[in-house]
Amino acid sequence: MISDERDAATELRPATERGKRLPTPLRRVLRGAALLLYTLLFAEGFVRVFDPQPLMPRYITGTAWGVRGNIPNAVYWHHTPEVDVQYRINGQGLRADHDYPQPKPPGTCRIGIFGDSFLFGLEVDIRDSFADRLEKRLQGRGFAVEDLNFSVGGFGTAEMLQTYEQFGRNFDLDVVIFSWDTSDLEDNVRSNLFRLKSGKLETANSEYLPAVGVQDMLMQYRLYRFIADHSELYTFVRDRISLFLKKRIKSERRQSLSIADTGEAEGAPLSPDNDIDELQHRSKIDLSAAILAHADEVVTSSGADFYLIDIPAQLSRTEFTSPLEVLPETVRSRLKIISPLSALSKAARPDLKLYYEKGQGHFTPTGVGILVDEAVKSIASSPRLAACAGHGFPPAP
Amino acid sequence: MLFNSGVFALFLTAFLPLYFFSRRHVTARNLLLIASSYVFYGWWDPRFLILVAISTSVDYLAALGAAGKEVRAVDQLKSAAFLVLVTLASLACATSKDWWLSAPVAIGMAIAALAIVLIKRSAERVRRKYWLLLSLCTNLGILAFFKYFNFFVGSATALLEAIGVHAQAPSLAIILPVGLSFYTFQAISRTIDSYQRRYEPQYSIINYAAFHAFFPQLVAGPIERAGHLMPQFETVRPFDRQLFTTGALLFAWGLYQKIVIADNVSPIANAVFNAPADQTAGATLAAVLAFAVQIYCDFCGYSNMARGLARCLGFDLMINFNQPYFARSPSEFWQRWHISLSRWLRDYLYISLGGNRGGQLKMYRNLMITMLLGGLWHGASWTFVAWGAFHGAIQVVYRALRIDSVVEGSRFLTLRGFAIQTGSWFITMCLVCIGWILFRSRTFDQAVTVLGNLFATTGYSADQFATLFAYSAPLVAVEIYQRASGRLEVLTAGPFLVRYTAAVALMLTLVAFSAPGGQEFIYFDF
Repeated sequence: MISDERDAATELRPATERGKRLPTPLRRVLRGAALLLYTLLFAEGFVRVFDPQPLMPRYITGTAWGVRGNIPNAVYWHHTPEVDVQYRINGQGLRADHDYPQPKPPGTCRIGIFGDSFLFGLEVDIRDSFADRLEKRLQGRGFAVEDLNFSVGGFGTAEMLQTYEQFGRNFDLDVVIFSWDTSDLEDNVRSNLFRLKSGKLETANSEYLPAVGVQDMLMQYRLYRFIADHSELYTFVRDRISLFLKKRIKSERRQSLSIADTGEAEGAPLSPDNDIDELQHRSKIDLSAAILAHADEVVTSSGADFYLIDIPAQLSRTEFTSPLEVLPETVRSRLKIISPLSALSKAARPDLKLYYEKGQGHFTPTGVGILVDEAVKSIASSPRLAACAGHGFPPAP
Repeated sequence: MLFNSGVFALFLTAFLPLYFFSRRHVTARNLLLIASSYVFYGWWDPRFLILVAISTSVDYLAALGAAGKEVRAVDQLKSAAFLVLVTLASLACATSKDWWLSAPVAIGMAIAALAIVLIKRSAERVRRKYWLLLSLCTNLGILAFFKYFNFFVGSATALLEAIGVHAQAPSLAIILPVGLSFYTFQAISRTIDSYQRRYEPQYSIINYAAFHAFFPQLVAGPIERAGHLMPQFETVRPFDRQLFTTGALLFAWGLYQKIVIADNVSPIANAVFNAPADQTAGATLAAVLAFAVQIYCDFCGYSNMARGLARCLGFDLMINFNQPYFARSPSEFWQRWHISLSRWLRDYLYISLGGNRGGQLKMYRNLMITMLLGGLWHGASWTFVAWGAFHGAIQVVYRALRIDSVVEGSRFLTLRGFAIQTGSWFITMCLVCIGWILFRSRTFDQAVTVLGNLFATTGYSADQFATLFAYSAPLVAVEIYQRASGRLEVLTAGPFLVRYTAAVALMLTLVAFSAPGGQEFIYFDF
């Protein structure tokens, strides 16, 4: 009956109209494509209205030394409800607007900054970044210094160390600063560049390039770069996939730890009712402490001063917590540590933002200023910088 | 296995192709459903599959006998073989030290065999009743031991202590099996229906075991009636894209209710109920309202997921929630809240006690007993009993004052009718929320403190309600639309583009706003 009605309807339609109709498979493809386009546009609108995402594309690639690095010569923007920032990466993959010659200029001291997104200066203009402001402050105090910012967003201590050993060291650095924040414990385990065996640190892998191959392939396409730079839907999906994968890796590691030899964890013996979470936490701490101690040895043996800068986590606008507290006292006592925790607490006010709140929670220029104040207090007394003191330094053009 | 877990997604990915491959062959399909349902349930703790199997084996025979059908030796053999098979399989999946459980199972089987011999020798006029008794004793015995043993022993000890008798109470470390109250009630209802000749049981143990353990509704209902669901296990179920799509959307809507609304508002309630003494009136009110939203979305969400999943497989499960927060009287609330349990209590308890027959006072007594036991069904605690008693008492008051009839008789579109219906709705919601305080509190002291906090007049701020409002507002809007349109499944109505857009928005919401960490369903504890 229905097919009769359809046939009748087809017969009644003018012959010209029938002739103009597209073949069914093509119609289906077009309808599917239209539906897909509609879905993407609707989803983009939905995300923008109900769950706005800061547009913070990542311009990351692989490096010759086996870890991630900034894409050389990249210029890109981040847009959040609080800031619009342009980033310029130099030809060497450092956040700077000029390249640095490998032999340093005579009479100049070099400070190498190895950190994650905080020291890279995410969400702040280059003039407000830690590296730039530290350089200016030291120059203002008569030191002939230049700061080289080797930081890469997402780095853990293990990647900082690998970057220093295989790349940064070539720049004849006098002072080396590593950052230390809450994510490093997890990052150092996830990167799996180092491991502890019978309490001794050893190299586990020479490479950690998560999803870099896919990123490199996609970044060749202008359309992908456009989407990454402008689509909140893309950011939404990417962040969720990344979160999911991190959780999976964490869960797999948790499972492997539960069956692995627990004797490798150092420190206080585990009580019988200690669960796997505590064991996992302690192994993370032991690994990170060993990497930091090793970094101190490597940097010092290269003739540079090693500093560890503490990046406190914000609990509220007036409360902060330091990730340093988790490190064993033996490690803390041997390192030169710059901690802005008390200065941040002193400066904090409910109406003052020291960290951004709608992007990815990095320092505001005010927060960076406090970090720089504390860094200058420690670094200005570095014996390595004494050689460059009192010369003055021509201001950067 | 939780519906909102990755393990369940994997389970479903493996199950669905097998199901659709076998769905045209009833026995093969039911065998697959039994195996899958047992994996689903046993994932939590395989040892408790034995309880499901005991309930299945006994009720398979009991329903036949209660219906007056001949219980043949071959049926007894099938029943025993099923129990032995499941016991061996579950113990094989458990640890080696659990093999001692085979001894009580063997003893139980011997007792059941003896009971069956005695029943078969009894006079024909009472034989059906004995079969019914066997089912009741088995199911209620399991329920009493696993759910109420420590509660009854503890209460008896406290009572003895109160009258000056010192007693040393035996306390057993008993784990409450997930969904025990649901599947035992479902099994009992089938046997009672068979006894009352409302349902005619069939001889296939495979079909019955698939019905008994049907995984979409095994652990938290709806508590189905054999007359409605059992015939579906005896036929090839339909499958088409429309059925699957609407089932999947219903599942997604239930998931939204659970992981977006219930799990996100639960911290508001938990913060206050975990430390009620330090809370302001505003925070307490927000917590009580948050719990009202949480428990509704948690349980209604589960029921919707169960119904959606069953529909994808071609099965129809009953509606368990019909907009309970629109109720204008406590009795209407119970006609809309956990409908499968309310009907169970009405049909098998309230009516068995005499129902409305025998005068007003008897009706009030029956109502109170039904609600008290309904409260106790929810958990082994006096606060649940008090919650049941509270609901019983307010229903008695409403009936005594004939408020129900006044509300029913008023017309919403007149000024007087509007005032009556809105006022009675508001009062009912206040009473329901007071009931939730008893339900959520662990002790009476906690409930009194929370209730006391509500009567303070200070400590209100908009911030306390902001999160609750943000998560509840879409639900309220949807419920109002459902009410106005008379359709409970709004996602399946309207032009294609509207439905499609709503479905995409729902999926995005699930990804964007789901609460971190999969939380268990509240009703799993019951």
